Amino acid sequence: MLERRLYYHVDWAMIAGIFALCAIGVAQIFSATGGFTRIYYTQIYGIIIGIFAMAICLTIDYRSLADKSHWIYLAVLLLLMYVLFFGAVRGGSRRWIDLGVVNLQPSEFAKAALALVLAKFFGESRRGAITREDLAIAGALTAVPLLLVARQPDLGTAVTLIPVGFAIAYVAGMPMRIIGILALVGVLVAPVAWKFALKDYQKERISTFLDPSQDSKGAGYQQIQARITVGSGGLWGKGFTKGTQGQLRFLPVAHNDFIFSVLAEEQGFAGVLVTLGLYLFVILRALEAARLAKDRLGAYLVLGVLASFTFQVIYNVTMSAGLAPVKGLTLPLMSYGGSSMIATLAAFGLILNVRMRRFTN
Amino acid sequence: MLQVACVAVFAALSISFWFLQIVENARYEEMAQNNHQRTLALRAPRGVLYDRDGKVLVENRHSFSISIVREHTKDLDRTIRMLAEVAGLNIDDVRAVVARHRSEPSYRPIVVVDDASLAQVAAITARRLDFELPDVVVEEVPTRQYPGEGIAAHLFGYVGEVSDTMVAADESLKSGDLVGQAGIEKIYNPMLMGKDGAKVVVVNSLGREIRTLEEVPPTEGKRLQLTIDYDIQKAVDDGFKAAREARLTNAGAAVVLNPNTGEVLAFASEPAFDPNAFAAGIDRATWASLTTDEQRPLNDRALQGRYSPGSTFKMAVALAGLQEGVITPDFQVHCGGAANFYGRTFKCWLKRGHGTTDLRHAIEQSCDVYFYTVANILGIDKINKWATALGLGVKSNIDLPNEVTGLVPSTEWKREKMHEKWYAGETISVGIGQGQVSVTPVSMAVYAATLANGGTRVTPHLLKAVDEGGNGWKPVAAPEPQSKVEVDHAKLQAIRDGMWGVVNGGGTGNRARVLGFDVAGKTGTSQVISNAGRVAAARSGKDLRDNGWFVFFAPRDNPEIAGVVFLEHGVHGPNAARVARHILATFYAKKLGNPLPPPPTPKDMQFDFSDPYGPGHMPGTEPQTDEPVNVTN
Repeated sequence: MLERRLYYHVDWAMIAGIFALCAIGVAQIFSATGGFTRIYYTQIYGIIIGIFAMAICLTIDYRSLADKSHWIYLAVLLLLMYVLFFGAVRGGSRRWIDLGVVNLQPSEFAKAALALVLAKFFGESRRGAITREDLAIAGALTAVPLLLVARQPDLGTAVTLIPVGFAIAYVAGMPMRIIGILALVGVLVAPVAWKFALKDYQKERISTFLDPSQDSKGAGYQQIQARITVGSGGLWGKGFTKGTQGQLRFLPVAHNDFIFSVLAEEQGFAGVLVTLGLYLFVILRALEAARLAKDRLGAYLVLGVLASFTFQVIYNVTMSAGLAPVKGLTLPLMSYGGSSMIATLAAFGLILNVRMRRFTN
Repeated sequence: MLQVACVAVFAALSISFWFLQIVENARYEEMAQNNHQRTLALRAPRGVLYDRDGKVLVENRHSFSISIVREHTKDLDRTIRMLAEVAGLNIDDVRAVVARHRSEPSYRPIVVVDDASLAQVAAITARRLDFELPDVVVEEVPTRQYPGEGIAAHLFGYVGEVSDTMVAADESLKSGDLVGQAGIEKIYNPMLMGKDGAKVVVVNSLGREIRTLEEVPPTEGKRLQLTIDYDIQKAVDDGFKAAREARLTNAGAAVVLNPNTGEVLAFASEPAFDPNAFAAGIDRATWASLTTDEQRPLNDRALQGRYSPGSTFKMAVALAGLQEGVITPDFQVHCGGAANFYGRTFKCWLKRGHGTTDLRHAIEQSCDVYFYTVANILGIDKINKWATALGLGVKSNIDLPNEVTGLVPSTEWKREKMHEKWYAGETISVGIGQGQVSVTPVSMAVYAATLANGGTRVTPHLLKAVDEGGNGWKPVAAPEPQSKVEVDHAKLQAIRDGMWGVVNGGGTGNRARVLGFDVAGKTGTSQVISNAGRVAAARSGKDLRDNGWFVFFAPRDNPEIAGVVFLEHGVHGPNAARVARHILATFYAKKLGNPLPPPPTPKDMQFDFSDPYGPGHMPGTEPQTDEPVNVTN
């Protein structure tokens, strides 16, 4: 368990960065939803539970966790399958397990579970070079939860699993050649996917992204409004709770997917720089943790978790400015969402864990 | 390496935000404002109209209009359907209204109901709170309120939405403005209109108003005091009402002036309409009934009706004769019931003739032969000269729109218009106000005023004072007289004596007598059709009854009031004189501070529809059923 000695190796700076972002998120949720609402308290509870989850993930040696990673992975798969059949339906998708007081979104926990299982798989691999067989197994491990989440359907969260797989496979020595081939396949498959795999609303989102004005009342509306929200913020912003786009609901789900747009509107470019700076700081500290990691397992684990986090941050921020197609992808640490908050804080617990135990045997 | 990549990506993101928030900021700020700010027009109330005593004539009431604002509407037809259902409207009508305004900017409200009932307002407001009809707004707008029963309708005129051509011509107007379309409302529109205010409100994405950002209150139009005396106006109205209830006529006009200043004390045209029907947008059915009515109630007879003046013209001939030195007041003519001019016989209305009369008696008895003779000596051009000097055949230039000009013929006129020579024989009928002569009632009022004041053709006017806001009421100077002629007082007095005799002697106007006041006047009965034609057209069903005139002023010396009453198909002058009596009695009762006289009853009107030109009939000599009123006791 947590020895006194380890306490000195906890990355307090990173923790400070993480909770600064959480605080900014809570403040903007407060502003976007109009005060002390149920949403506000849910977020606070999410953070409190998340702190416990983080503490747990920090306390247990990551190597012990990695040893049990296949169980964790299997448990998450079972939950995902359960969701597919018995999950609560909201907005046309089946993503949640209704626990009465709270709703659990297992897909959020799939990222950390996948990172654990892949880190363990590659990190403990005895062979020096990576084989095709290894890649195939890693691909399968990624694909199973990905497909289960995509079936909900929750394409946004499903896609966040891909960076986990790629990041770990890449640092584990996957040849660049493979990435090139996969990219080529992607380009070739895209038109087929467009025709058969994508649903109408997904196609619409992509085509309206290319030209939002063609559907300014429908799907393009959010994108245009997001751009207006951000653009009208100016250098210093309209002031806390003084935003018009978010406050008057011109921007939908302002407390959730578009929390960063609301921040940009109310705190301006200055607020954007501070927040982006905090995210960059946290990411760089995590990369540092990976570099310092005592073993490959630790480094892989950190990078796997971080890849998903970074991808989500970059995508969401880009989308918040209306510069990427609108996807149901939240901004980790800031967007409203209990499961996301708990899972993200737990994942950072793992990263802190790796760094903290860099000197232990 | 990964660190570098991350920093690069975040730098790229920062640059994107810098571009959006700093470089393009102004553009997006404007878009954000258009999103959540809506400017609502606050309609300025039009200026209130007062009468000369400060009594309110035309004011404003509050009405509610229901409009659709399409700006954030996703399904317009759903809104239309719901609105029609909730407000109990015909859905096709609503669709038609919306379609008509489709090309306007979507933030501009489309007014669907102009003067909504309270039930409609309540129903809509409830739905708005439920977020069911967030794109429907109820606005309180000031609406013109005129006195009831169409009193002075033609004088006030009415308001209506400005036309596109007017908007194009006058940049102070904008589409949707209400402007005066007739009468005082039209001619003083720039003063009455005021300046609309604006309210900038914050709306949410559903179009619901959240709060007011800024409000510029509307500036009320200038308040105007008219020269009109409501009591006199009411007296005119009551007189016409009696004629109407007697089934005598429902058409006519009356104009009453102060002969010394030209101030209009009363101005009426009948039949009237209700200007209130226009105040909040006239509906199609009412408009159709007004425009297709054969009596043409929208037509201002006082200003636009041209009629033969009949015997009322005789004073113009008399003044011409006297001033041109052709006759003296003692000039005598023998009337044997008819006279022969240029080989043609001209009858006097009194078949047995008036015997030998001088000017005073010729006027008093309205002897036709006397004026045939004078006219014949004068010739048409001298009659034209003096009739014009008295205000006939020219515009009065009253401050009302669309006045028409009457006609007093001349040799020049006939040459120019008909390319024909004037025949001396044509002058004879002009001598008694028949033939080519035509006059408008308002010019007849000026005629009466000019005879009353001794030759000054005053300009009738309606504006007495303008409220300058903080500076109080600012009187408006009376306009300059149109012309002024030097008239020999003794000669004019002979005419006035004759007119006094009409009312107070044995003349045709004694129904206008007001005891204690020297009312002077002259009746006129003008044929709508020639005697020969009358027989031929008798069965056509058209109203061919004669028009009745009465011009008057009082008192005979130093007159204070002058005017005209005209009854279309009112058979003859004495009925008009009866209306005039009520006007005069009201005027004097008010002046002396006595109770106002009761309005005339239908019984006071004469029901003699026989041909006044027929044998044995003599207007003014019928047994008198009513005693002259006495307002002095």
